[in-house]
This record gives sequence, C-alpha cells and structure tokens, in this order.
Amino acid sequence: MSAGLVLAGVSYRYAGALGAALAAVDLRLEPGRVVGVAGANESGKSTLCLVVAGLAPSVIGGRLDGSVRIDGVETAATRPHELAQRCGLLFQNASTQLSNTTATVLEEVAFGPCNLGLPAAEVVERVWWALRAVGIEPLAPRDPARLSGGQGQLVALASVLALRPSYLVLDEPTSELDPAGTRLVAEALARIAGETGAGILLVEHKTEVLAHIADDVVVLERGTVALSGPAAEVLADPRLVELGVEPPAQVRLERAVRAAGLEWSAALAEAIE
Amino acid sequence: MGLLRRWVARQFTTRVIVLMPVAIAINIVLGYTVQSVLKLPIYVDSIGTILVGVLAGPLAGALTGILSNLIWQYAPIIGGSNIGPFAVTAGVIGFMAGIWGYLGVFRSRPATGLRLAVPAAIAVAVIAVLAARMYTIPQYTDPNVGGYPSWVYAAIVAIGVVAAVAVAGFIYVRRDAAGAWVAVAGALTGIVAAIVSAPIAAVVYGGVTGSGTDVIVAALRQGGADVYNSSLGQGLFSDPIDKTITCFVVFVILSGMSTRFLARFPLGERLIGRAEDGDSRPRDAV
Amino acid sequence: MPDFARRIPVGRYRGLHPVTKAILAMVGAIVALGVRGWTGPAVVLAAVVLSGALAGVLRRMALFALATIPLVVSILLVNTFLYPNARDAIVTVGPLSPTWTGATAALQATMRVVAFGMSAAVFALTTPIDDLLTELERRGLGRRGAFVVGSALGAIPRMVERAREVVDAQRARGLDTEGGPWRRFKGLVPLLGPVILGALGEVEERTMALEARAFTAPGRRTLLRRLPDSRRQQLARWLLLLGSICLVVVSLSGVVKLP
Repeated sequence: MSAGLVLAGVSYRYAGALGAALAAVDLRLEPGRVVGVAGANESGKSTLCLVVAGLAPSVIGGRLDGSVRIDGVETAATRPHELAQRCGLLFQNASTQLSNTTATVLEEVAFGPCNLGLPAAEVVERVWWALRAVGIEPLAPRDPARLSGGQGQLVALASVLALRPSYLVLDEPTSELDPAGTRLVAEALARIAGETGAGILLVEHKTEVLAHIADDVVVLERGTVALSGPAAEVLADPRLVELGVEPPAQVRLERAVRAAGLEWSAALAEAIE
Repeated sequence: MGLLRRWVARQFTTRVIVLMPVAIAINIVLGYTVQSVLKLPIYVDSIGTILVGVLAGPLAGALTGILSNLIWQYAPIIGGSNIGPFAVTAGVIGFMAGIWGYLGVFRSRPATGLRLAVPAAIAVAVIAVLAARMYTIPQYTDPNVGGYPSWVYAAIVAIGVVAAVAVAGFIYVRRDAAGAWVAVAGALTGIVAAIVSAPIAAVVYGGVTGSGTDVIVAALRQGGADVYNSSLGQGLFSDPIDKTITCFVVFVILSGMSTRFLARFPLGERLIGRAEDGDSRPRDAV
Repeated sequence: MPDFARRIPVGRYRGLHPVTKAILAMVGAIVALGVRGWTGPAVVLAAVVLSGALAGVLRRMALFALATIPLVVSILLVNTFLYPNARDAIVTVGPLSPTWTGATAALQATMRVVAFGMSAAVFALTTPIDDLLTELERRGLGRRGAFVVGSALGAIPRMVERAREVVDAQRARGLDTEGGPWRRFKGLVPLLGPVILGALGEVEERTMALEARAFTAPGRRTLLRRLPDSRRQQLARWLLLLGSICLVVVSLSGVVKLP
C-alpha cells in the first residue's frame, strides 16, 4: 500500500462528448506537498479535479481510462462517501457548497462528520480541529449564509477538512475572492499542508498564489501535461505565455528588468517577496 | 417488493434530492409573484412540480408538489396562503408529470413542413374538442342543473381560438412537433387537477377560491349548479389553461438545458434519446 | 455542544416539543376541516387563540387572518346570495335574495377556513422548522427528507432576493407591475428566465458538494441537537390524535349530532 495519489495514463471523456477532456495524464501527489495546476481555459483543469477526487465518472458519468489510485486503492472501486474521507474537493463558489440547512458555522462544519454517523463527541472534536486548522474558530456561532466570500470559502474548506481526508483538491478556490480573501485562503492552505500532512492539488489562475505556496507545478494544455516540475522552474519557463498562463508578477518584473538591460539580483528578488 | 423498492430508490438520487428544494422554491416564489404581486388570474405554482416529475419520476414529482403546498401553508416565508388542503392536487399533478416523463412527452421532436402540420392539426383538434365539450356538457346546458350566462360561451370560444393559435404558432415557430404533445399533456393534467380539486374546494372552502375566477362560480350558481358542480365548472375553465401554460414553460426550460445536464437525471435519457454506448452511467448512490 | 448551537426554546407554549406542536397543528386541521357544523371550527378557534396568547403571537396571527380576507369575502358573498336550492330568503331586494341557508353555510365555511388558517399560523409562528426536522429525523425521517425540506426553506429567501434584483433591473427597463394583464404577462418572462435558470444551474455543483461531504454514507446520521421531551407530552400527543380522528368519524357517520 503505497502512499500518494497517483494518476497513471488517465484519459477521460464526458458522457455524450466527442473528444477527450483529458488524455494520457500522469500525475503524482505526495502527502504534505502542494501541487499547483495551471493552464488556459478548457485545458482540462476542472476535469482533472473531478477525476482526481473520484467524482468522475462515479457521480457525473462519462468514460475513464487508466488508473487513479489513492494510497493504493482504485477510486473506481470506492463509493463516494469513502472517497470523501480520502480526498476532499472544493469549488469556486462558496455559497453552493454550503448545505444551507444549518444555522451556525459549527453545525455546517459538522455536516460531513454527522453524515458519517460518528459519535457526537467525536464530531464536535473534529469540528473544532478543522476550525482551528483553517483559522476560523471565531466564526463558529455565525450564520453561514451571511458570511463574506472569503469566509464562506474557509467554512467550505473546514467542512471538507472535518472528514480528515489525506488529500485535498481545490478548483480555483480564490477566483471569486478579493485580494484579502485570496490571501486568507492561500495562507490557510499552506498551514494545512504543513500541519496536517495533507497532499494538496490546487488549480489556480493566479500564479502568484502558486508561486507562494506550491512545491511543484503542472501546466495542462488541451487535456495533456505540457509542463511539470518544481514550482520555481515551471513558473519561470518561457513557454508559459503561449500555453495561456500568465507568469507571476515577480517573473514578469524580472524579465522586464532584464529586457531593459538592467541588472537583476537575488537581493531584489528577496525584497519583493 | 424488491422491484418496488428499486423503482422508488431510482427516483431519489442525490441529484434529485438537490433538485427538489430548488423546485419547491420555484413553485412558491413564482406562485406568490404571479398571484399576489402581478395579480394575474393564473396560479403558475406547479412549474417545479412538473419539472421534477418529468426529470425524476412520478413519486419524486408527487412529493415535490405535496411538500410545496405543506411548506407554503406551515412555513410560509413569503405570503401566507391557505392552499394546504390542495396538497392532494399537487401530488396528483406531480405524479402525472412523472408519467409524461416516462412517455417522453417533453422530448424535442424537430420537424419541418408537412410533418409539422400533422401535430399542429392534432393539437388544434384536441383543443377544439375540449372547448366543445365544455360548451356542451349536459350539466351546463340542462336548465334544471345549471347553465352558463352567454358571456361564458363567448369566452370559451375566444380562449379556445387563442389557445389553438398559440399552440400551432409555437409548433411552427420552433419547428418542433413536441408542442402538440405538451399541449395535450397540459390539458389532461389540468382536467385531472380540476376534478381532484373540486371536492376539496366544495367541502373546505364553500366552493370558491378567493381569486378572480370566482365570477365563474357565481355565474354557474346563478344558472342553478350546486356547490360541487360550480366548483368543477370553474376548475375546468382555469386549470387546463394554467397547466398548459406551465407545461410549455417547463418544456422551454428543459429545451434550454444541455444534454450533459439532463442525462444525469433518472428520466433524462427519455428527454434526449438514446445514451452513448460505452459510457458509464452515474452510479446512483442510494 | 456550545450553547449557541443548542438553541432550546423557552416559553409555556414555545417550550413544547416540536413534534407536540406539529401534532397540535395536525389535530387542528383534522378537527377544523373534518368535523361538520359549528363545533369543530369553534373548538379549534378557541384552542388556537389560547395557544396564540400563551406564545405571545396574537398580533402576528392577526396579520395571517387579514390575509384570508379576500377568500372570506368571496365565500360570504357567493354562498349567501347564490346557495343552490335555498328558498328561505332573508330579504329580497330586486334580483338579490340572500338566504338563511346560504348565510349559515357561508359562516360555517368561513369559520372552518379561519380556524384552519389560524392553527397553521400558530404553528408557523412558534416552531422553527429545523427543530422539527431534527426531531423527526431522530424518529426515523431519513436524512434526505430532512435535507429536502430544510434546503427548500433556505432556497426560498435566496430566490426572492434574486427575483427582487431581476424585478428592479427590469423595472428600470420598463417592466410593468401595474397595467393590464397582457402587459404584466409579457413582463413575466424576463423575470422567470434568470431566476429559474440560475437556480437550476447550481444543481450540478451542489450535488457534487453533497457527495464530497459524505451525504450518501449509509446508516443513521448523527444528530447533535436534542430538544427536551416528556412522557406527559408523548401521551398527550397520542390522545389528541386518536381523539380527533374519533371525533371526525363520529361526526361524519352521524352517530352523534354535533351543532
């Protein structure tokens, strides 16, 4: 039983679609590491999230070739509620991820563990643990329907975390947030990877976020892996722009400085961080 | 027994469980908006019910209707209402919608030219027959039992003509023969709804509804109809119109959804035709 | 469980167990609608006014009562003046001849409708539905039923908000909420579209979010909140329910003639 979330030769086609959304993708996500995924629109990033978390094809149909294994177990052989405990999934829109049947954030985060039928004491313990891990304990008595976008995303994150998955997959979690909200979420993710040892797969348009917290970065193009490697290398790769990905501000600044014929030093890079 | 359990379970997938509250909200919000805010003489409080019935099945549709009525009566968030007792009618409407779903009534049937003419003719004929029946039902022309004042006869003719033109126009403009099926389904649903509602209105509400259509009740009573028959007459007048409009709205909504989305519902395939081979269907977690 | 999450209601009436209050509403409906004559509605009205007073919601109940006025007016007019086969006229003014039979039937129907409506109103004003859902789930309702009702209650205000935004935007473009029926009908379509399609568009993601929170796990869901119940209330519930059914049977079968 090897640790890690491994995709081997994975291809996926949506039900009724003509072409494959993913073709021959290999990917490896280790516990405690953050892997960033970037790419142009329609490059397969969202599909990748659904496949990695096992929702495709079991919840949405379609055809999957190749193998997706979480800690050695095939996702195709796992029921959705068990998958939820191995690999958590988050989307862009905070309000559609709330159950909207709970009056307080505490009960909202308890939604998952209660679904599993765990004893009440364990549920409450997990809830406080998840709130602490995400850093939102003060929000516990608040009404989930009245939170800001960033707070809502953090509550959604905590409610998925309360199931204690070993891996987390996030599909553009900050795309509807302002810079303050984005910072909140990014820092929470970095903290979670470090403290809980969860492996995180983060799809992001905002490459600054990836530069900040990702260990490795994968770039998709039309459903295949175009670039893959350590974050610093991939984000500085000249081919990013033609693949439809905007390099992080620091990289763009460095290129502009060098293009103007000026010196770029490590001290400058440090100062910008 | 096992077969029945599986039939029940298949209609209540997670996706349907998510759809039902949205449908209930659509019923209540639209019903309130149309009846109280815009004050139109139609109910339009069954769009969600029929939508769920067509996508998921008779039980899911019936439950959606019943819950909508009960929630509007006992947990009214907007506009208090007294329609709780009509939960029975709503359940029947949802059940019938499930049958339409099984029969693929709401499936698009693109056609051109003459192949449009036949369904259009059928729809017009059905409307004509219904209107004629209403015109000549013995209970309403026998002076001992009842009878309309003359303006009601004129109204029946006028509405019949407008309906026939609207449905035929719909079929031709959208080049879709399904319009005929939808019209028939809507009319039938309306007739059954009226028949189920009449005793409830007669026994509970003294035979009236509290809306503008009570003039019809008064007119029938004046002609000598009893409480039940005057209620039934009013229902047979307004329900087929309301339910046909609702069915056409549902049809337009469904035609605007992607096949990808529809296919994932229990009866989705009957809306789009055969599924592709080789794809795995969504595993219905029960 | 912290206090803010326990939310135990207080008050002589409100403190009753939610299932008790639900049974009271059910019994009110059964008796008001099922028992023919004056007795049923009168008893229910008295009970409802009493419980409303205990719970302190009489003023808000009056608002519910006001909402039934159009219906009541219609019942009174149509039945008093046009009751079938009624010959005992109160007075004859030209073509109009209201009858005693008609008036009696009208008043009885009015009492029925008001009693039923008020019993529903008391329930609506004193019982948070999520309290009721939790306790029903504890007694075997099932997580999917509780979710459907609970989620619907949350979806309604959200949709109203969205509809309000659309109506405001359309009004700025000339949607008529006054004016003739055809104008209003035409203005309806641009309202329906965004509200309905927006809500339906969320279904896919909400489904996946539910699966991602193990909603389809087997077995009973853990319920964190527990509301106090008592033997006395349990007994009372059964007695009331059985009693009301007996009353209806007795009344309908004519065994005992109630006024």
